[in-house]
Amino acid sequence: MRLELGNIYINDVKLADTTKVENGVLYVNKEELLQEIGGDEHIKSIDLELAHPGEEVRITPVKDVIEPRVKVEGPGGIFPGVLSKVDTVGSGRTHALKNVAVVTAGKIVGFQEGIIDMTGPGADYTPFSKTHNVVLLIEPVDGLKQHEHEAALRMIGFKAAAYLGKVAKDLTPDEVKVYETEPLFESVKKYPNLPKVGYVYMLQTQGLLHDTYVYGVDAKKIVPTILYPTEIMDGAIVSGNCVSACDKNPTYVHLNNGIIEDLYEKHGKEINFVGVIITNENVYLADKERSSNWTAKLCKYLSLDGVIVSQEGFGNPDTDLIMNCKKIENEGIKTVIVTDEYAGRDGASQSLADADPKADAVVTNGNANETIVLPPMKRIIGTTEHVDVIAGGFAGSLRPDGSIEVEIQAITGATNETGYVTLSTKGF
Amino acid sequence: MKAIILTNNPMILNKYSDFYLVEYIEESLMTVLTKARDKIHEGHLLLSHPLSGSVKPNETIYKSVIISQEKGTLDMNSLMIIESSIETARKFIGMKEAPLWNKKILEDFQEIDYTLIASAIESMKQFK
Repeated sequence: MRLELGNIYINDVKLADTTKVENGVLYVNKEELLQEIGGDEHIKSIDLELAHPGEEVRITPVKDVIEPRVKVEGPGGIFPGVLSKVDTVGSGRTHALKNVAVVTAGKIVGFQEGIIDMTGPGADYTPFSKTHNVVLLIEPVDGLKQHEHEAALRMIGFKAAAYLGKVAKDLTPDEVKVYETEPLFESVKKYPNLPKVGYVYMLQTQGLLHDTYVYGVDAKKIVPTILYPTEIMDGAIVSGNCVSACDKNPTYVHLNNGIIEDLYEKHGKEINFVGVIITNENVYLADKERSSNWTAKLCKYLSLDGVIVSQEGFGNPDTDLIMNCKKIENEGIKTVIVTDEYAGRDGASQSLADADPKADAVVTNGNANETIVLPPMKRIIGTTEHVDVIAGGFAGSLRPDGSIEVEIQAITGATNETGYVTLSTKGF
Repeated sequence: MKAIILTNNPMILNKYSDFYLVEYIEESLMTVLTKARDKIHEGHLLLSHPLSGSVKPNETIYKSVIISQEKGTLDMNSLMIIESSIETARKFIGMKEAPLWNKKILEDFQEIDYTLIASAIESMKQFK
């Protein structure tokens, strides 16, 4: 499967009468966009605000972040099974608007989280301080249940990203990257001397506010399966995960998964990157056993020499991570796990809720319990009234001057476990 | 599988007491976890992950854990998971306790805990 990804670099976003891209500027017709994404009976109002890198702006509570993309050639459309039919995507050509993100914000439950600061010390912790953000503030009708609220908000974000992505269809990209994964036997024949490497992609799947969808299927209902990596670049995996801002994978991160990008970079040179095995992180322990048995089985079946496993979330998924690692290692396959840590504010406590001697190659993306003081910002998009009840916040977190003292777990993407983040640890 | 739900979440008691043996513990999240550990020592199997959900143990005050009704010999896997979970919960609560939430937020936490455990029950009751 071969995908050409055409990147169109955007250096500014402005409101205008027509939605278009001109000289690297994305112009957005606000009325048209709101009309396109509106109409949900569960939603009372949607507003749109722009936030640019370097501005004194704080966005919170953030739910999802989505990159605008459009299918230009090849089967299917962006977000198959969600916005498009369930055609298998990942081949042909796709265009992406780089440096732009749709950010959905809203209060689904009383305790909230997800901060994006566009400048200051907090900005260094989130990749979404570097994007021009089209922020959607979504207000539900009174008395709406959390399930319906989350679903409505999720769909509005995808629709907005698809609406903006459409303008990229007829543009000439600034660069075109080609990603290709051959069928297994062909790939092994082509690179007989390179180690076969797979990526086990763990998806958050525990229930309300903790879900992920694959081609529109609730991923807690799947057994582990194989995807071409390029399917994921076309939106085969979308986020419905709103909890644990620092280490959830927003849809943007699924589309731009850094492990996939890096494995492709080395593909055909140092390794033979044969594909992605997706698996879940269910609450029921028998599901965990089954899924980790299956990931190990598929790794063995593909005769892999090495595997990278990434986690999403905290606590419960630590057990899936270790089960996957242990069972894949037991098949004689070298395994590296990618995670983050909750090691206490001083970093001295046990990092994960599970462990095994086989987990001897670990990449960490930072300690989510570290605290930070976020200075006041001139403009708040959303509301900070929930900051005292944010994950990683505490009574008194929101100070009278508008500054906030929180653990970095409150910051969207701060310790992302696919490495889409600047934090890491070097050492042995 | 016949199951016992150990919980301090009143919503679980309301929704599931007609269908499952619900042991309602009107105490802290930590007490629910330690009761689960005691039951595992008695030979019950752990069926759901005690750290269900990404909501941290020092944010939510509710916890529900599913164990088997039947007792056998001590299951080491169950014991390892509950012990690690207790250690993690203790670490979080040691850093800061959950605040005194208002009624609306408490109801949200009840709903989250309920949906997490409902996803486990849905898996459990297939073919049972």
